[in-house]
Amino acid sequence: MRSGRLQFVGAILAFTLVWLCIRFPYEMFGLAEKALGNPSQVDPLTLHLHGEFVESNLGTAVEPDGSVTVRLIAQQFNFVPECVLVPTDKPIRFRITSADGVHRFTISGTDHVLEVVPGHVSEGQFEFSKPGQYKTPCHEFCGPGHYDMRSRVVVVSRDQFPSSKPEERLGCAAL
Amino acid sequence: MVSGTKPLPSAGSQPPLRVPSYVAWTEETIAAASNGDTVRGLVLARRCIRCHGQEGFSNDPLVPDLAGMDKLTMWKQLNDFRAGKRKSAIMNPVATVLQIQDYADLAAYYSMLPTYPDPQDIRSFPQPAPASTHIAVAARLIFGGDGQRGIPPCQACHGPIGHKNGAPSLVAQNSDYIRGELEGFAKGDRANDIDMPMRTIASLMTDDEKQAVAAYYGAGLGSLPVGASAPAK
Repeated sequence: MRSGRLQFVGAILAFTLVWLCIRFPYEMFGLAEKALGNPSQVDPLTLHLHGEFVESNLGTAVEPDGSVTVRLIAQQFNFVPECVLVPTDKPIRFRITSADGVHRFTISGTDHVLEVVPGHVSEGQFEFSKPGQYKTPCHEFCGPGHYDMRSRVVVVSRDQFPSSKPEERLGCAAL
Repeated sequence: MVSGTKPLPSAGSQPPLRVPSYVAWTEETIAAASNGDTVRGLVLARRCIRCHGQEGFSNDPLVPDLAGMDKLTMWKQLNDFRAGKRKSAIMNPVATVLQIQDYADLAAYYSMLPTYPDPQDIRSFPQPAPASTHIAVAARLIFGGDGQRGIPPCQACHGPIGHKNGAPSLVAQNSDYIRGELEGFAKGDRANDIDMPMRTIASLMTDDEKQAVAAYYGAGLGSLPVGASAPAK
């Protein structure tokens, strides 16, 4: 009976020791940061002043190599821009950051999800096979307006997707 | 969070920079905007009386009431007027003549003026209560928003249940002024909202909804529970 209890206590101690050995260096040497694998750091308070997420750079960009990048800001309580336009059958690079708290960008009807944390840029490569309008509700409680926080991704076929220059940004109004 | 594996496109492909406001809500900015001298503000406010009223209640419904105005809001708007980020034939030169410290002093003074000076005093809410259909439309948007269209409730940022830096309280604001600003945001004539929340929301609202929300706040109903009648006059 006693040895059983000792084994139990010993197991807990061993587990704690192993956990500390892993966790301490993980936190101390920034391994958690590295595990996120994200080199992009942004200041959520000055997104509008300079850098990648100034308002003139938001929306859909067709890069010189033909790839498509969508840039968004999540904030209490909307995603900006409210509607983004993308083509079908092409990997779309979504880059999104937060101006305040934690949000979760979820594209309804798909398994495309991005956790959005202030100070970081979240990125995902998503592809849409069907044209249509996809709602993007926030799935991380972010405050009193959370339940109304959603935007749209409008997917059109590649033929319908308007052509644009690298320095132009497309919105749903381009349709 | 997902890592970025491919290199980012070069910065040379960015469109021309458009900045809505030079104000950023850093700790230094908040401290500068919050630490005004109320007495100095009172003296400075003498030059605002003609348009914004003796006690911060304007006689012209197109001119905003300043009584009880949030300090950060006032400081930011004056900065934006100075920088030309918000256009007004009257306020652009006024803000240029004032010093930056004056903004904080005026903000300190106006923020402490009561929004309900006296229930019998009709200066605070000179506008009639909106029609009952408008009350229902406005109350729905102000207290609940519209999730189908992505319109958050007004009170989540403008109070009383939530607050965002730079978002003014609307409980004692003129209806014509609110409506005009909503139309300005929707058209893009006013574009000094940081990260575009108001341009986004106003462009999603119908004209009828803009009118209803403006009339609801203008009648002084914004601070009351849903369905309550206008304050006694």
